[in-house]
Amino acid sequence: MFSSTDTNNKRALASSNIRGDRYEVKRHQKYPHALNFYSVPPTEEITIDEFEGFAFDRLQVLKALEGAILRNKSEEDIKDIDKKLSLPLHSDDAAKAYPLEEERRKDHISHFILRLAYSRTVDLRNWFLKYECALFKLRFIRENKEERLAFLNNENIRWKNLSQAERELMREKFTKEESNACSITYDDELFEIDFEKVPDLVAKRAVYIKEGKAYVPTTEQISLVMYEFRQRLAKALELASKSFITLRNERIMPMLDEIIKYDGRTQTTNNYSLIDNPNADNLAEHFPLCMQHLYQNLCEKHHLKHFARIQFNLFLKGIGLTVEEALAFWRKSFSEIDEAKFLKDYAYNIRHNYGLEGKRQDYKPLNCMSIISSYRPNSGEIHGCPFREFSQSNLSAKLVQMGVRDEEHIKEILNLTEGEHYQIACTKYFEITRGLSDKNNDNVIIGTIEHPNEYLNASVSNEKNRMKMNNKDKMVNK
Amino acid sequence: MDIDEPEIHENSDEDMAVGPSSNKKDDKEHNFWKNNSNEIKANPERFGIEESSMELLRVFYNRFFPYKTYCYWLNYNNIEMNKSFQNREFNFVKPGNEEVYIRYLSFDTIEEFKNEVLRVCPKKIDIGAVFTAKPKEKKSLKLSALKPVEKELVFDIDMDDYDEFRTCCSGATICEKCWQLIAVAIKILSAALREDFGFKHLLWVYSGRRGVHCWVCDERARKLNDDERKSIASYLGVIKGGAQQTKKVHLYKNSIHPSINRAHKIIEKYFEQVILEDQEVLKDKQEWTKVLDCIPDDNVRHRLNDNWSDNPSKHSIEKWDNLLEELNSSAKTTKNQKKADSLQICKIEIMLQYLYPRLDEAVSTKMNHLLKSPFCVHPITGRVCVPIILEECENFNPMTVPTISSLYNEINDYDRRNVKNDRERNLHDYEKTSLRPYIKYFEKFIQNVLKETLAKNRALNQTSMEF
Repeated sequence: MFSSTDTNNKRALASSNIRGDRYEVKRHQKYPHALNFYSVPPTEEITIDEFEGFAFDRLQVLKALEGAILRNKSEEDIKDIDKKLSLPLHSDDAAKAYPLEEERRKDHISHFILRLAYSRTVDLRNWFLKYECALFKLRFIRENKEERLAFLNNENIRWKNLSQAERELMREKFTKEESNACSITYDDELFEIDFEKVPDLVAKRAVYIKEGKAYVPTTEQISLVMYEFRQRLAKALELASKSFITLRNERIMPMLDEIIKYDGRTQTTNNYSLIDNPNADNLAEHFPLCMQHLYQNLCEKHHLKHFARIQFNLFLKGIGLTVEEALAFWRKSFSEIDEAKFLKDYAYNIRHNYGLEGKRQDYKPLNCMSIISSYRPNSGEIHGCPFREFSQSNLSAKLVQMGVRDEEHIKEILNLTEGEHYQIACTKYFEITRGLSDKNNDNVIIGTIEHPNEYLNASVSNEKNRMKMNNKDKMVNK
Repeated sequence: MDIDEPEIHENSDEDMAVGPSSNKKDDKEHNFWKNNSNEIKANPERFGIEESSMELLRVFYNRFFPYKTYCYWLNYNNIEMNKSFQNREFNFVKPGNEEVYIRYLSFDTIEEFKNEVLRVCPKKIDIGAVFTAKPKEKKSLKLSALKPVEKELVFDIDMDDYDEFRTCCSGATICEKCWQLIAVAIKILSAALREDFGFKHLLWVYSGRRGVHCWVCDERARKLNDDERKSIASYLGVIKGGAQQTKKVHLYKNSIHPSINRAHKIIEKYFEQVILEDQEVLKDKQEWTKVLDCIPDDNVRHRLNDNWSDNPSKHSIEKWDNLLEELNSSAKTTKNQKKADSLQICKIEIMLQYLYPRLDEAVSTKMNHLLKSPFCVHPITGRVCVPIILEECENFNPMTVPTISSLYNEINDYDRRNVKNDRERNLHDYEKTSLRPYIKYFEKFIQNVLKETLAKNRALNQTSMEF
């Protein structure tokens, strides 16, 4: 990927390395461990196909992890999530002969591509950090004790360790119950750490704390490792974001853009036009809340502002409207604007969205991730994700207006938005309004909504199924 | 401080009989507006009730509020004003019946702060976080340029949370008996903050009515991020569950954290007096049912309930002994080890449920949370939010805390008695009143805090000299 002509990229990736002095840059001849702290960027050449393929495969894993975590899946359930998708990473002691070197190379490279792609904004960085941590954690837990130790040694990660004598003093001081509560076995190692570094253990009262120091047993070591991993990656992401600004590479940039827009489950080349007759009036019923909101505003005010127009126009494009149809639709909708002004101010942008003007980029319909995090609306603007941008009271009023009457349902959706789970809230809204929510059935009926067009398609096919069922019932009754 | 003598107006007693904000439920409470009515002199023609209390508040801000020490505290330095003070958010509540907030205030100098306080005469002052820029310049700043970076770690204990079993008072009222609940909470929390987290500078402040706040001023505490604050609040939060939950403490017999053990030892010293004598939580059926609900065995519950129903006049202490005997003997006779364990631990669970601090977690977990400032005046009781001396917290009496009207009377009496006495002209006004010990304590506390920053700065200077 980083062919010798792409020196800019090489520099960008190399500088996202943490403090070069401490972690000397060495060429990776091989990967001694399955686990990786990703302190050293890859420096080999790879093909464009690999670049894209690696990035999308890793993204799929992170997205799957996000869904699983938001839905409260157990650790056991997500244990092999990366292996099930196409980013396997096996240990040295794996029973079968896996192409370990190849797996680790892919893991390594894909991490760095995404790191760069997701370094752009705070929201993207936080998202990436969160799910990279989750991925690392499940992989660390999967390893056996010796392998973990070897890895940590290799990374030069050590913590202050209490001496045997100090442990003995502690043993005398504590009752059996107290030692149990702090999971201290006096024959094993005990690390002395600032309590700030293990907030999860402090919160659970799972370790002994004295004068600002937490005493962490080896059984809770994962908390320490995760602290290190998170700190380093957070710093590295900050650095990457700075180098991103200077990164002006015509070949890499569009690919990184694609990665951000990728929604995790459907391929980018996916065509959303599953709808037979896009002009049918009742199609609006199947719009997700974000598009409903824009459409209602458009009908009432005969106008939409810039970003709202882009959001809605690309959505229409995703439904399958041709550029002529789109132009006709907007012309009709902007009924209070005269022909000359429409052509001058608006037609260009619409054609631009379809890749017919300017740099002729064929824009993809925006996915939820972009709607939620890029171009947040300013005052007076109405675009964006309603689950994020509406105040609690406005959202609940909107939900009532859209036919969500059950107090419990409203509360549930509001709670999700408060926890910043906007897409889950949207999915919940879908399930409720489409009569798919069944309190006794905790099964996931549809996956998390990742794209407004996906929402529309799910809604349409759901209705088709229902009609089929009804017809079947009628046939049976006859 | 040279401050002009404020103008005071005459008033008749009648108009002062009922304060505008006095709450009917509060009749047990020492009502500031009522009790002091005949001592306030204001002109009914010119001023309503609010205005006369405004006058008292103005006198308080003019003559008693410890501006210097207060600002040095928030500045963590008494040499020059720095970001710690200048980027600190303040929030004033305007005087008057309505709650009108003036948010995102900040001040560059002590003078500026003082002048604004005197101008607005806020009925409440809240302290927020230190931001990356001056909060008063919020409108001209990008949203991302104004981020909270530092704040004291704070705790809020409110008597409300004890209402489910408090028998002496309820709601906003407080007496010496129920103050002891707070006093024990202060002891337990202070021990944990000091011994476990190593914090040294704990400023406990009476909130003016029925609660206390704790300001942890150590540098390490001020720099904690929200996740770390959350983890501490969770570490200290033992009581879980709302009104729908009868048993709020859950422990395992074989696993008791040292901090719980320490809390239990402190509680053991006070449980009999505070819970059994003063609160008499086993006095009648309605009360003792709440205690019995915590016992994980129907038979034990029924036996105790029958026993006490036959002898309801037994004292709570005797009933508690019955309960302990029952728990012990049942634990011994049962063959189910799990059940035996849960019966044995039950005593500690009940004791913690009654005396372990009940914290308002939301206050502690967000750096950006506003909290009522020390030395402001409670708008309903008129009491000054004075610091509580930790070592003497049991003897603190919320009923005798100076109010703005008692201070007003004290200073007038003093001035009348000492009109011709020149020797004491140098005294601060607060030194002539019952506010003196509180401000002295505050000054000493802040001195200790400043000493540490001074020592740290010196060490820093020295290391930078070496280069």
